[in-house]
Amino acid sequence: MQRLVSWLASHPLGIIVLTALLSVAAGIALIDLPGPSLRVQIDPSIERLLPPQDDDRALFDRVRAQFGETDPVLLAVRFDNVYTAENIERIDRLTRRLGELDGVRQVISIANVQNPVADDAGIDISTFAAQVRANPDAVSRFAAQIAENPIYRDALVSADGTVAAFALTLQGIDENRFRSENYTERIRTLAREITGAQTVWITGSPVIKAATTDAILHTLKFTIPAIFVLVAVLLFFAYRSVRAVLLAGLTIALSMLWTLAAAAVLEIPVNLVTALVPPLVATLCLSYTVHMLAEFFASERGEQDRARFERVLRRMGVSLLLSGATTVAGFLALIPGSLPAIAQFAGLSSLGVGFSVLLTLVFLPAVLIYAGPQRPLRPLGEAMFARKARRLAMFDLRWRNWIIAIALLSLPIDLYYASRIRVGTEYIKNFDAEATVRRDFEAINAAFGGANLVSIVIDTHVDDALTDPARVREIEALQDWLRRQPEVGAAVSYVDHLKLINRNLNDGDPAYYRIPDDATAIKQLLVFGGSDEIRRVIDSRFRTALIAVRIKADDSIGITEFVNRTEARLRQMPPPLNGRVTGSPVLATRTVNAIASGQLTSLLVASVAIWAMLALMFTSARSALVAMLPNVLPVALYYGTLGLLDITLNPTTSLIACVVLGIAVDDTIHFLARFNADARARASEKAAVKSALAAVLRPVTFTMVALGLGFLVFTGSELQNQVQFGVLAAFTILMAWIADITLTPALGSKLRIVTLWDILRLDLGQSPQHTIPLFSGLSLRQARVFALMSRLETHLSGTRVIRQGDYARDIYVVIDGTLEVSIERGGERKILTTLHRGAVMGEAGYFGQRRTANVDAVTPVRVLRFDSEDLERLRRRYPRIAAIVYRNLNRIQAERLARATAMLQ
Amino acid sequence: MKRLHRGWLLLCALLAPASAIADMTVDGVLACMRANIPKSVQIKEVELTAKDRTGGMRQLRGRLYAVREEERLRAMIKIAAPADLSGAAYLLREKEGGDEMYVYVPALQKVRRITGTGVDGALWGTDFSYGDLRQIHNAFSAGQTALDGQGELAGRTIHILSLQPAGSEQSRFTRIKVWVDQKTCVNLRAEFFEGASVRKRLDADPASLRQSGPHWYAGEMQMLDLKEGTQTRLRVLGVSSDVDLSGRYFNPSTFYLGG
Repeated sequence: MQRLVSWLASHPLGIIVLTALLSVAAGIALIDLPGPSLRVQIDPSIERLLPPQDDDRALFDRVRAQFGETDPVLLAVRFDNVYTAENIERIDRLTRRLGELDGVRQVISIANVQNPVADDAGIDISTFAAQVRANPDAVSRFAAQIAENPIYRDALVSADGTVAAFALTLQGIDENRFRSENYTERIRTLAREITGAQTVWITGSPVIKAATTDAILHTLKFTIPAIFVLVAVLLFFAYRSVRAVLLAGLTIALSMLWTLAAAAVLEIPVNLVTALVPPLVATLCLSYTVHMLAEFFASERGEQDRARFERVLRRMGVSLLLSGATTVAGFLALIPGSLPAIAQFAGLSSLGVGFSVLLTLVFLPAVLIYAGPQRPLRPLGEAMFARKARRLAMFDLRWRNWIIAIALLSLPIDLYYASRIRVGTEYIKNFDAEATVRRDFEAINAAFGGANLVSIVIDTHVDDALTDPARVREIEALQDWLRRQPEVGAAVSYVDHLKLINRNLNDGDPAYYRIPDDATAIKQLLVFGGSDEIRRVIDSRFRTALIAVRIKADDSIGITEFVNRTEARLRQMPPPLNGRVTGSPVLATRTVNAIASGQLTSLLVASVAIWAMLALMFTSARSALVAMLPNVLPVALYYGTLGLLDITLNPTTSLIACVVLGIAVDDTIHFLARFNADARARASEKAAVKSALAAVLRPVTFTMVALGLGFLVFTGSELQNQVQFGVLAAFTILMAWIADITLTPALGSKLRIVTLWDILRLDLGQSPQHTIPLFSGLSLRQARVFALMSRLETHLSGTRVIRQGDYARDIYVVIDGTLEVSIERGGERKILTTLHRGAVMGEAGYFGQRRTANVDAVTPVRVLRFDSEDLERLRRRYPRIAAIVYRNLNRIQAERLARATAMLQ
Repeated sequence: MKRLHRGWLLLCALLAPASAIADMTVDGVLACMRANIPKSVQIKEVELTAKDRTGGMRQLRGRLYAVREEERLRAMIKIAAPADLSGAAYLLREKEGGDEMYVYVPALQKVRRITGTGVDGALWGTDFSYGDLRQIHNAFSAGQTALDGQGELAGRTIHILSLQPAGSEQSRFTRIKVWVDQKTCVNLRAEFFEGASVRKRLDADPASLRQSGPHWYAGEMQMLDLKEGTQTRLRVLGVSSDVDLSGRYFNPSTFYLGG
């Protein structure tokens, strides 16, 4: 490790060149030339957040394959009155023109559907448009004819007769092409041109997905520059150096470039969840650069570049790596059992954090050495933060018990409110109320009694099963039940077709608007009387049928309620009728629910992972558990707030807890590590709280401001769920900051921790367990733990370490150097012995006697000093180490006694 | 519904004279094709096998009778299988003011007359529609036809024709491209365009070309709906042309009776 640090510090130019090469490679991976265009795919579909092998998704795909696209584009055009010959003609012309659009497989409107009119003379099966052309007066009967036709009712023309609907089924056009070729506006323009109507609404899954993609891109276009402006302002405010700002900004830009390139290489699409990654990475990288710049510019006078780089790497290396590791742990905790999109979010964010840590740790100091400001920069507000920290420390210590009690008491309150959290999300309301896509959807939803299309698939797995009259009646009853549901605007199945065919083939007699009584008749009517449209609702072997349901609900809670109720009703059907609910809204809702249901697991995994890291770092499971409280508290407060304000848990709000937990724990670590070091050095917990707060308050506050503002940048998004994410994440970060500057010091003052890097960093010379008798039988780690529980002191040559006659209870162990033991007798100094590495001295004082001799450093020496309190702490915290140390101490005393006895003899 | 009853015309359109097309002009090709329709035709077995997008198949079999009287067509098809559809019959009578169609559904035991100029639609849930074939037929007489050239298809020399339906035709297809076998005048391939893209493709199997008297016909053909992803295979067996057919087959009161 030391060699790596030295090597890196001596090759800053190489680091810059390597970074540049990797960045060029990342650019090539990300940008498709010529174009240029990004290789990263935008995927606005919520249902594709589900895994491809998911059963619900497989059903959805099968239904689309069998019955055709179930997510048409819905166009609505308002007229004064649809039922005029002129307007039917306009609708006919528009229907034809829409059908000529490339990629439009079929257009259905009042103009081109058949209007069967049966009487004694036979059946006229012309289209509405043909009937008007043949007889303009026929239009006067259309309203009544549509009203009594369940297939057309509230589907082709609104109930008030002013809005005509067009259903456009697409083929060979994916979301990206639909959006890039601006089909939404092309269709709208065509509708206005041909009909002359001013009011044109357009909605449907492809339209909403295109709008969502636009919103995602807009969010990225807005949030990323906004974060860079934020970076510039914050860093300039803190360091007042344009160069520092530019170089930190470059580091953040490279982190994002590498992250996006990784997304392109790993074929991770930008979807509603992964769209959060780039700004999130930029925000996190900003917080890392803040710490790095603080360390870099805290240079010592006359320090050479290489020494500076090495110092920065040594001091920041462990803390940045640990920060990154805990953040990554928070992200990775989202993965177990999660949907692919969440796993992609977690994986990509983790990569982004890794890149950020690497670039901040290695590239930023390297480039600062070459191009950074040469003058020392004094961070702004240092003195002010030091003053505030002292006051805050006093407050924390004075009210320590209250702070801890309030924190503990707030947990059950938070849990109570958290228990009221509802899982769900809004779909169209994710857009701003003034957004065209939302206005159009809501207008069509209101005019036609629902704009969300849900399919109920009835599978029998038996040929001709659906021609059995009893089963047809079951489906009819189900359909009637569906129509009675408050969410349902319309429900159409082959049963409607069948009854209409039966009536028309029986001279239009309304008495025959019913299901025939035998299977043969049903099959004959369906085969010989059915139109093309019947293929959309029943298969050619009459074993699978589809009920097309239009629902008004457009939030996942409403849709879930409807789906649950419907599934319960479907289970009542007798075999072989098996019903299932599917469709884009259903899949999207199941996705939302699946994301939220994994929330508790993710949080537990994140907590355990972070606890394990803390336990490793603090070498104590108990200390790690206590240190978790300041991090669990903001998460609990976050969930409590969701429940209190009735904010639902949705794909974006469900990410916040793990993300914040991973980020907030950094501050806890920074404080506790500093507190621990200061407590050992000063031998005073109060003083350590003050000094530790003084050291960390400024960077922790600065990081909180950076992260909070970074998250608040999301409020500029067009999508409400991203706005919600930004506000709530900023709020939770603020809560975490408050906990870290109050609760963490209050708890920390009760902790004795030894950090792993203390152990690793401590230099006790070569094999202390073999060369120092007091450590005999201990492992290297145990010897270091003992040393950290003691005090490592350095004395210059000629310093008196122990004075004869003093009352003192410390024992010393010589780590290195030479000391002389002497006594003053008759004004003469008599040297008794010389002590070297491993020698123990001062044990007489330990047992309550005065110092019996002087001990002076002959050379510079390092000694470990400990007293009975240290040994008692050691006994409580590390009883095995204490037992060996006591044994060794006894052995040393016994040997000394034996030597003394031998000398006397 | 009307369109569902006209599939027999497809079979008529397959018939062609044995003489090769000597005249390489559009008129020559058209004349050859117009002269192809026999005075009468009897097909002992027509088999339609429809395959949907998921591979589900349904088969229909029946007999077809057609005559040409005063250049107007009379045709009747009667379903023989499957058993639960057996006995259903269709009669088409081409008339000046619009075609007449009659359908007999055995379960209802009624004959219904169907009128109207409905849009093209599937024939009994297959990929064939009367409209598709009628368009070819009418395009030859009322539309614009161009000879795009000669070529080769499945080892046979063919003419390539472009048919533009007349404005009066309420057709969803903007253009039809036809590959006509030079030797038999049978359409070996037809592509139906919606705008710039091919919506349907009809392929006749050259190996199934048969001769009945002076007329050639394709014994097997397949219609693909490229947008829907479905296909239907049609087989005809026992074709007899220019035979005497009883008038009862084409009488609205009696067409469904008997074998």
